[in-house]
Formats: sequence, structure tokens, C-alpha cells
Amino acid sequence: MKEHETVVQLSMPADAQFIDVARLTLYGLAAKMGFSYEEIEDMKVAVSEACNNAVLHAYNGRGGVIHLRFEMRADALSIIIKDEGKGFDYKRAAKQAAPLSAKPLEDVKAGGLGLFLMEALMDDVTVTTKGGTEVRLTKFRHRGEGEHAHDSISPSSVQEQA
Amino acid sequence: MDRKRFHVVHEEQPDRHVVYIKGELDLAAAEQFQHAVEPLAGDASKPLVIRLEELTYIDSTGIGMFVALLKTRKKQGAPFAIENVPPKVQRLFDLTGVSYLFSTMNDTTERIEGQS
Repeated sequence: MKEHETVVQLSMPADAQFIDVARLTLYGLAAKMGFSYEEIEDMKVAVSEACNNAVLHAYNGRGGVIHLRFEMRADALSIIIKDEGKGFDYKRAAKQAAPLSAKPLEDVKAGGLGLFLMEALMDDVTVTTKGGTEVRLTKFRHRGEGEHAHDSISPSSVQEQA
Repeated sequence: MDRKRFHVVHEEQPDRHVVYIKGELDLAAAEQFQHAVEPLAGDASKPLVIRLEELTYIDSTGIGMFVALLKTRKKQGAPFAIENVPPKVQRLFDLTGVSYLFSTMNDTTERIEGQS
């Protein structure tokens, strides 16, 4: 495990009915870290988009598992959303990942919009497809934001607490 | 009341259909929304207004459905508007370009507002 990292993991059915549980967990952890309301709302959408893709594309509706891993660090929160299914075609989606306004209404398709939102709402997005799909979403903590932001905490003070 | 639980209320007024959507419009709620709104979207004889003030969450699933509704209404030349969009939903509409798509329906929106 990396230094100063706290990890929370959750495995849940790849079923639309459970995606709100991913959002609730994210909310609890991100609030604990001092992220602002707006940042948490952004992360909720990004995490849901990754879960949506796992539910819709990974297991062909035959049921499976989504593994969520929340890596809490002093400077950032990373959320890893992993499935063991056949995978969503992220390469193809990346080509279509554009805002709708770039296209005439007749050409608009919702595909690619989820990936576009993940990229727009998070600071870093990486997708690995190997034995399933793994999406890693990262949001950095920005200074001066968030009700409970502990900006005075330096890496060394975190080390002392650990 | 559970603020998160999704539900749809349809109010048929003499001059228009008004739909209130409440709670979280996510993948789990998509089918319910579709069932409630599709028949109304098909009725080109009346303007359709969807009010979002109690919508607490939306993502690409719901946004895609709004785009589909826009297409259906535009094809029929039928008025369609969304009203009372909460700031966080507005932000996603702006980011994805849905706001722009709705702005291209401006003429019909004005007509709806004129009747209210």
C-alpha cells in the first residue's frame, strides 16, 4: 500500500438498483475528506457513469459484480471501478466523447456522453481493459475549498497521525 | 419522504401537459421515467413541460432521455420545455450541451410561457 493511504472497498451486484449505494459511499468518504458540495456532486456523477457502463456493457445483463475501491490520500481521492465482464468499448466511446452542442440534434447519440462527463468532472481518468474493465477516477483536493477542508495538514503531519 | 426515491407526477392541464420529476433520475429510474413520459411526448396536440425543481440527481442516462424527448418533439413540431432546473442539474446540461439544444427550441418555449 502507498504511503498515507486509507482504502475502503465495496463489492456489489452489477445491477442498476445498487448504483445509488456507490454514490452514498462516495458521499460519506468524500465529505469526511473535506471535499466541497460541488466537488462531491461531480464525483457522484462520474462514479455513477463508470458503474452504468459496467452494468450495461460488462455482463450482458447476466449479472456480475462491480468492485469499488476508494483510495483516500491527503491530496486526492481516487475511485477505482472494476468489473470482470467483457468490457465497454472505451476506445470507441472516447472518439464520441464530445458535448452534444458540437453536433446537430439529428446526430446526437447518448453513447460517449458518460465518458465525456467522467473526463469533464474529474481531474484524471484512466481506463484499463484487461480481464474486465478498470476505470480509475481521481479528484485532487484544492486549497481553500470545502467546509471542512484541512488545508493546514501537510504530508508530514499526516505521517505523524498514521 | 425519501428525497432520493424517483417519482413522476403528471398533471394534465387544459392547455398543456405538465410533468414533475422528483428524486434521482439514474439508470435504475430510467424505465419508470420512459413509461411515464413517452405517451405524453407522443401527444403533439399539447405543449409538454417538464419541471425539475425537485430533481436531486441526473447523469448521462437521464440526459440522453431528455435528448431523445427533444428529438421526438422537434420532429413533430411540438412545443417542449424544461422549467425550474436546479443549479447542479443546469451545470450538467451546460457541460453536455443539452442547454444549447434546448435553446434551439427557444421559439416553442416562448409559446409555452405565453400560455401559462
